[in-house]
Amino acid sequence: MFSLVVSATNWSLTREEPFRFVGLANFAQLFGDKEFWQYFINTGYLMLGMPIAIAGSLCLALLLSQKLRGVVIYRTMFYLPSFTSGVALLILWKALYNPQFGPINAALGPIFQWFGGQAPEWLLSTKNLLGLHAEDIRLVWAQFGLGARDAMIFMGIWISIGGSNMLLYLAGLSNIPQELFEAAQIDGAGPWATFRHVTWPQLAPTTFFILVMSFIGGLQGGFESARVLTAGGPAGTTTTLAYYIYTKAFEEFQIGYASAVSWVLFIIIAVVTLLNWKFGSRETNDA
Amino acid sequence: MKETTATTSGRSGEWWFRKGRFGVSHLALCLLALTTLTPFLWMVLASFKHVSEIEGNLNPFPKVWHPENYAQVFKQIHFARYYFNSIFVAAWVTVLQTLTSAMAAFAFARLRWPRRDQVFKLYLFTLMVPGVVTMIPNYTLMVKLGLLDSYIGLIVPASFSAFGTFLLRQFMMGIPRALDEAAAIDGATHWRTFWDVILPLARPGLVTLAIFTFMGTYGSFFWPLVLIKSDALRTLPIGMLYFDSVYGKQTNLIMAASVMNITPLIILFVSTQKFLVKGIQLGAVKG
Amino acid sequence: MKWVFAGAFVLLCLLAIPAYRGSHDPVTAGKTRIVWISDDNPVRKGQIELFNKTHPSIELKIDPTNAGMEKVIVQSLAGVGPDLFDCYNPFQLSAYVRAGIAADITDDMLKAGVDVGKIIWPAVKVTCVRDERAYGFPCNAACDAVWFNKKLFEEARIPYPDHQMTWDELIALAKRLTVREADGRAKQFGLLCDWWQWQSFIAMWGGSIFSADGSQCVVDSPEAIAAVQFLHDLIYVHKVMPSPADEASATQGGWGSGTISFFSGDKGAMAFGGRWWLCTLRMSKDLRSGVMPAPFGPGGVYRGYGRSTLVSANSKNRAAALEFMKYLAGPDYNQLLNDQGDALAPVPAYCQGERFLHNPEYPQETDNQVWADAMAKGVPDQVSPYVNGNLANRILTKQLDLVKNDQKTAADALRSAAKRINEEIAKGRAMAAAAGVAGRAGTAEKTGGRP
Repeated sequence: MFSLVVSATNWSLTREEPFRFVGLANFAQLFGDKEFWQYFINTGYLMLGMPIAIAGSLCLALLLSQKLRGVVIYRTMFYLPSFTSGVALLILWKALYNPQFGPINAALGPIFQWFGGQAPEWLLSTKNLLGLHAEDIRLVWAQFGLGARDAMIFMGIWISIGGSNMLLYLAGLSNIPQELFEAAQIDGAGPWATFRHVTWPQLAPTTFFILVMSFIGGLQGGFESARVLTAGGPAGTTTTLAYYIYTKAFEEFQIGYASAVSWVLFIIIAVVTLLNWKFGSRETNDA
Repeated sequence: MKETTATTSGRSGEWWFRKGRFGVSHLALCLLALTTLTPFLWMVLASFKHVSEIEGNLNPFPKVWHPENYAQVFKQIHFARYYFNSIFVAAWVTVLQTLTSAMAAFAFARLRWPRRDQVFKLYLFTLMVPGVVTMIPNYTLMVKLGLLDSYIGLIVPASFSAFGTFLLRQFMMGIPRALDEAAAIDGATHWRTFWDVILPLARPGLVTLAIFTFMGTYGSFFWPLVLIKSDALRTLPIGMLYFDSVYGKQTNLIMAASVMNITPLIILFVSTQKFLVKGIQLGAVKG
Repeated sequence: MKWVFAGAFVLLCLLAIPAYRGSHDPVTAGKTRIVWISDDNPVRKGQIELFNKTHPSIELKIDPTNAGMEKVIVQSLAGVGPDLFDCYNPFQLSAYVRAGIAADITDDMLKAGVDVGKIIWPAVKVTCVRDERAYGFPCNAACDAVWFNKKLFEEARIPYPDHQMTWDELIALAKRLTVREADGRAKQFGLLCDWWQWQSFIAMWGGSIFSADGSQCVVDSPEAIAAVQFLHDLIYVHKVMPSPADEASATQGGWGSGTISFFSGDKGAMAFGGRWWLCTLRMSKDLRSGVMPAPFGPGGVYRGYGRSTLVSANSKNRAAALEFMKYLAGPDYNQLLNDQGDALAPVPAYCQGERFLHNPEYPQETDNQVWADAMAKGVPDQVSPYVNGNLANRILTKQLDLVKNDQKTAADALRSAAKRINEEIAKGRAMAAAAGVAGRAGTAEKTGGRP
């Protein structure tokens, strides 16, 4: 609540001018701020990996919920990325994405060359799979390719696929009454039909919860990776709203403006969550 | 799970079918595990390399093994002290957060009071406020209370969690109401019902929350970074930054420190993961 | 369950005893401790040891982890700040002064016979002196020259450079010294330069980021555009310098920046850099290097830069902190710094004579005069009081990233940057004007005698 008050002031750490209330000026400035919109799009783009990560978690959970030997070992291995504290993991990925000596390009390089292309420069490149322009909000063909934002997405999927989402799905699966599967088997349903008509609807609450949490996390995310991996670059392409708030508040000392950005972000999150909630509970009721 | 029902089947065709499916599952899991594991192998191998071998080199194995890197970590920084601090702070936060969340969850799940569910929704909204937003007021508060650079400043703000309350509330909702009604008939107070009936039954949920909390606090980066000043109070993620300063990037030592950093977490995860899956019961999100 | 929690609490309380016992770092009896926030460059250790040896009643401790402007400001305002902290550029100085956490030490230093503004290299004055008031003392001063790798020159059968070249000559030489493999990947570069040096090139070309009074961003001047375009062409037209992708492959580990490790690893024949590289280069025992003056740009000057240490206004040990300032101005420190090779001593008087030119410990370093000559041609950075330096920097970095990645011409990028920064300046000036009015209104109110 304190920050809501702050967002209506010109508070700046360096006390460059007397503290005063500027009303909604910070918010007005924000909507004309081209950078804000660019970083908003960045945040959205980085969330594109979310559905893949969630689907991946579900697949993993389905595979792991079978009575297989060594499930404990698999589970631990998939959960491994979630253990490692942020900084070390990010330094690790920086090395993996090294365009010349990184293992990723060492493996992919020949494939790209075979197609007559060049291996991607990952964290150094402003390119992306949608062809977003580096500065303006429009698409250009020259920007099509793999760049820093895509690198962030792949890393995000890798980190989250076996993490808590997988555990949530495993828990959800173990809570499905066994009778339902037996009934499906008696009806002669194949694996896909069983999944479609039994597993998926039964998992709806879990999926819904994961979706809400991922949305919240995604909209607030990208701070640590931007700070450690790219400093928000190249050319601001990996700056998310969270990182923008941080730079505004702690590097450029415009705490009032930063608070205004955070409140807009909060409202976006709240709206998305409420929509989810409405849509999600209808889904759950249908099931 | 569903396969267990069919093991009695005597027809060899079906047996082979199942065996084959297990084989495919194993293959898929192994491949996926490989992708999560490779970066970690790289990390472990890099922790044994000389610093000059890490860059500009495609060979994953060290030319000469340098186990003394691990000793160097202890020699160059107070690693043991940071280790202790991390575990100490994380343990305190875990115990406190589990307890406060359980109490709050009990109030939301079991007690009846006016506008309970509305308050709960409001409570959930605090999850959506971006972390960067609350950090500034939190920090100012710590300064005012004189808790800058202290254990208490690290522990207390982290001891309350909306996520934990949510997780446990969902779990407690799943506990049959008849049990505490019986306790009430026996004349038990709310307090006794909480300690003697609900908590023991909510054990898997408590363990799950405890593990999530422990891991989250153990790896937390930003709050200790801004709050802690003195060397003796630093936690591992902050202490490790020493190896990644502007003047000296000792990537091999970062990797060695990270390997040691995640070891306790792996042990914790393997030993408690049985509870983890049982502990998550989301049910319907609606009140 | 009750007992589990009770047990956990008892255990944790027991653990708290060693935790608290170990958490205080006792000050040696009878000594005053002062804390200095600086980076943890290994040479800092020697500088601190010497100070503590010559000042037995003071215990100077370095704190590398709380660096960063926002932390220094917030902690100082909260009363837990350091006694001394570093300042890297005029923008930081103005921020510290305006936040009220940098102490004015002009008079104290004059009493000790030190006129800060007069005895230091003029190019680094802006990092500790503002409006003729001193808030600290420089730790070092740097201007860049061109390093060359003697071994690679010998392998290419090219004589060592022995005079100040023009850029055309240098590029021709760099082309001869660039070695590529069959697939086009460079094995060795003719010239290395950190991209952040673009500021040096703008200064060398006679341009500047801000106008002299700071009222305007002039980074779109023809001089500045030509300078950045030149830097771009070194990578993409002359192909003698590493591209961003080449450069990234050198930053995974080791000491110093990627460019220094490239140079010390025999992957670059020449490199544009400062004397402070010595701290790192000396660690490569096999490297034989020489120094020549950098070619002049059209401006005929070099960019001077350096680091100052300021005294905190909230320091409880001001006398001890002032002792450190005097130490920085004195012969012990200046000679030590020159010996250590962390750029040049802040006081030019110590950058001459036999003691400076020939360090007996490093007889192979015979080019020290080059550094002192370059420093004499140093010009300081310009800042604007109306725009936050970090903000201006972020805008510039964003545009220059695009140039570096060959996506925008220097002219386009610098024009957009200048436009954005000038918008911010206009905003800053409007606010300053409004604040001025509000300030006057405030005093009028007070003199009006309201309760």
